[in-house]
Amino acid sequence: MVSGFAKKNVCKVKEVILINPIYDSFRWLACGNSPQPLSNRELSFTLADDVYIRYLSICDQKEFQNLLQKKCPHKLDIGAVYNNKPSISRHDAVVLARELVFDIDLTDYDEVRTCCQEAKVCDKCWKFMVVACEIIHKSLKDDFGFQNILWVFSGRRGIHCWVSDYEARTLDSPGRAAVADYLCLIIGGDNQNKKVHLGSDNLHSSIRRAVSIIDKYFDDIIQDQEFLGTSSRLQKFLKMIPEDALREQVEKSLEKMSESSLERWKTFISIYDSYLRENGNAIRKIKYLVEEIKIQFCYPRLDVNVTKGFNHLLKSPFSIHPKTGKVSIVFKPNNARNMKLDEIPTIHTLLDDSSPDNVQHQNNMRNAVKNFQEVVFSLEKAEAIRKRNYANTTLDF
Amino acid sequence: MDLKIKRKSTRTVNTSNLLESYPHDLQMYKIPPVEDIRLQEFETLALERLTLLRCLATATTLKGLRIYSDEWKDFVINELRTQGLKYYANLCDMSGCGTNESDLLARRKDHIGHFILRLAYCRTEELRRWFISKELELFKMRFMTMSPKAVEEFFKINQLCYTSISDEEKNELMPYLRESTMHQKIDSLKFYKVKFYEVLDLVKARKVYIQSGYAYIPDKDFISVLSAQYRIHLKQSLAIACHHLGEIEQDERLVGLLKGLHQSYSGNDYSDTKVIIPIESLDSLSVKSFPLCMRQLHEQLRLSHHLKHGGRLQYGLFLKGIGVTLEDSLRFWRDEFTKIMELDKFEKQYAYNVRYNYGKEGSKRNYTAFNCLKIINNNVGPGDCHGCPYRHCDPSNLKNRLKGYGIENQALNDIVDMAKKGHYQIACSKYFDAAHNTDLGLGINHPNQYFEESQKLLNVSNKVEIKKETKIVKKEQTNTIEDMDFDEISEWS
Ligand code: SF4
Ligand SMILES: [Zn+2]
Repeated sequence: MVSGFAKKNVCKVKEVILINPIYDSFRWLACGNSPQPLSNRELSFTLADDVYIRYLSICDQKEFQNLLQKKCPHKLDIGAVYNNKPSISRHDAVVLARELVFDIDLTDYDEVRTCCQEAKVCDKCWKFMVVACEIIHKSLKDDFGFQNILWVFSGRRGIHCWVSDYEARTLDSPGRAAVADYLCLIIGGDNQNKKVHLGSDNLHSSIRRAVSIIDKYFDDIIQDQEFLGTSSRLQKFLKMIPEDALREQVEKSLEKMSESSLERWKTFISIYDSYLRENGNAIRKIKYLVEEIKIQFCYPRLDVNVTKGFNHLLKSPFSIHPKTGKVSIVFKPNNARNMKLDEIPTIHTLLDDSSPDNVQHQNNMRNAVKNFQEVVFSLEKAEAIRKRNYANTTLDF
Repeated sequence: MDLKIKRKSTRTVNTSNLLESYPHDLQMYKIPPVEDIRLQEFETLALERLTLLRCLATATTLKGLRIYSDEWKDFVINELRTQGLKYYANLCDMSGCGTNESDLLARRKDHIGHFILRLAYCRTEELRRWFISKELELFKMRFMTMSPKAVEEFFKINQLCYTSISDEEKNELMPYLRESTMHQKIDSLKFYKVKFYEVLDLVKARKVYIQSGYAYIPDKDFISVLSAQYRIHLKQSLAIACHHLGEIEQDERLVGLLKGLHQSYSGNDYSDTKVIIPIESLDSLSVKSFPLCMRQLHEQLRLSHHLKHGGRLQYGLFLKGIGVTLEDSLRFWRDEFTKIMELDKFEKQYAYNVRYNYGKEGSKRNYTAFNCLKIINNNVGPGDCHGCPYRHCDPSNLKNRLKGYGIENQALNDIVDMAKKGHYQIACSKYFDAAHNTDLGLGINHPNQYFEESQKLLNVSNKVEIKKETKIVKKEQTNTIEDMDFDEISEWS
């Protein structure tokens, strides 16, 4: 973005950070740090001219405010909690804690989404995020037992998730890697056509649950995306079928029929079913083919390195995206499907009361802050309980 | 640890003492040996232990046997016998709690051998990682061959008490347990409840049912809990040993011995090449001497003028390893990337990483090139083209690529076959042979090793000009990127 406008923006960015939930952010950070002092947490700023400053830290809210005012950052990133005040010269610094984070970005869906590519997003591809959010949230809660989970719009084309439970914050790197791998079903680079392999044993409960979540959205998404709608897409789809005879049958039938992907998909399912009935021994190879394809189309595509890495910096909630001006709002996972991209508040409309969207954006902003406060509150409560229990057990000895 | 070395010793074996210290074939090596031991025996025990661990590595990487499979185990045990290590063969075959004198003596050697190797393998991250992974394989193999009775004894001796979940709870969870546990006859198994982070290997592979933070495991899966504990214990002990190396190394006889030990095996880490490779030769070298994983990255970079992070890391460190200087490297990446982006963007977003690989930025560590194991186990996601092609390409893609490179049909099928079976490094070795028209059957475990072997072969027949740098580079402490130890628990069986 260019000079005059950008400059004006910077000041506004500052204002927004200041009017908005700075106090809550501060509480959230402080709580997520415990038992280490807040000053051991690494923060980083990106300034207006793309200057990137790492290893910042704060000890209290006042300092936080001053720092923001002084530097007017475009973007605030949050890092890990170290055994010391972070600094560039400390190579012996040890990471003690860090929220368990997940980063899902629509660019990783480029090989499946057809409505947009790269930086573009629309309400059609947002549905991928809705599915991702629901699946991951459910797994974090039901499987891993985590309670304090924060969902944040990343500002442009994805979502972030922060898990602040004590157990999650102190999980070591093999632990993070295991959680990431547990959640990661789509594996393989540009050289693999079929990226999901579920084998032929029982389906793990978590996968079965994920598929049932996908099923709620699948018809909708397949119609939006027309996964099988053109002959080149059809070819790509056929490559996911490992059984030659089945593939040929499917190809023959689908090519002849109407271009509607949903119709084609239904035909595929019925060919698949009858094929299995006639070829009992093919079952080993393609027992879960339908599930595998659904997963490849719709299952969350995590950036696992962000989750595995202990000291990855991630954009703070309520940052302003430098290109879109959108606020990284906090949303409730069960409300993700009602979010519309153009209803996400932007810095421009928030500060311009003559904008037609102003009222709505103000409203949504308030809701986002409320969502955030709820999470912060539940985290504070959990921390208080943990501390009390800890005190009790140590007194026992 | 307190190993005193004596030239002569008048040690007499006291069986009842031994029985007290070594009640079971399988040990967790919690307490270091305290007895005096002769230098001669010290050396023998160390070498024997090393042979044992090496045997495990051979079975997986060179023979391509599936880890923990029956063939794998048989190979290891036979190999131990032929190498004259009967006592290890017996310890590994059917671990138990016999009280014969020969059992007891074997356990003593096992104990001491393990602790000596800790000293040899604690000095760098790389060595520690190798040692831990092999010791863990050994531990698992031994646990798996134990009779139920021996397992029970083992738990008793190590004071591991767990109570199983009630029948009620089990019945309630039954459908989930059946779905998510990888064992037969779930109904007859007792289940235990542990925190999910105690069985990360099972969680990672989705082989266990987890609910609200707890994993439900049958007794068979306790090996996961144990090996996780054992891993942590080993890791900490090695770190401590490393700290105290100074004291131990006051005895020069030991210094030579210990240092020699790991060098005799761990393999080169390619962190200080003395050869300089000009970037102008990369196109031709990539055809002649690059393993497939690197050739693929090179071609992709030339084609699309971009590589994603994983690719830049894997390829960048490889280039550094074969002897591309930092300046050349910068020029190389810049030339490609600026075909699709502004110079400014390259300098801001990518140059840092190149310098970082050379230890000029960030934590200033001298990073080493990835070995095959790491590459094979790496995550490869959408848009990525790094990794090991034998693992990360569909067979049909692999076939086409090899065909494009002019590999003969017979060899081509062999290679693809090996890759399909999961023997990636053997496939790579077959590709080496096909590409160089030999049948060396090398064991490939590092792309840079592939490169060097290839250069060796080619340079005999036609001299390629490679300047030798006269200055001897002083070897610094080296580190792999961010000491990524999260891949330690991965197996690619
Ligand atoms: S086996 Fe090793 S050298 Fe060969 S292609 Fe795979 S990673 Fe590269
Ligand atoms: Zn779209």
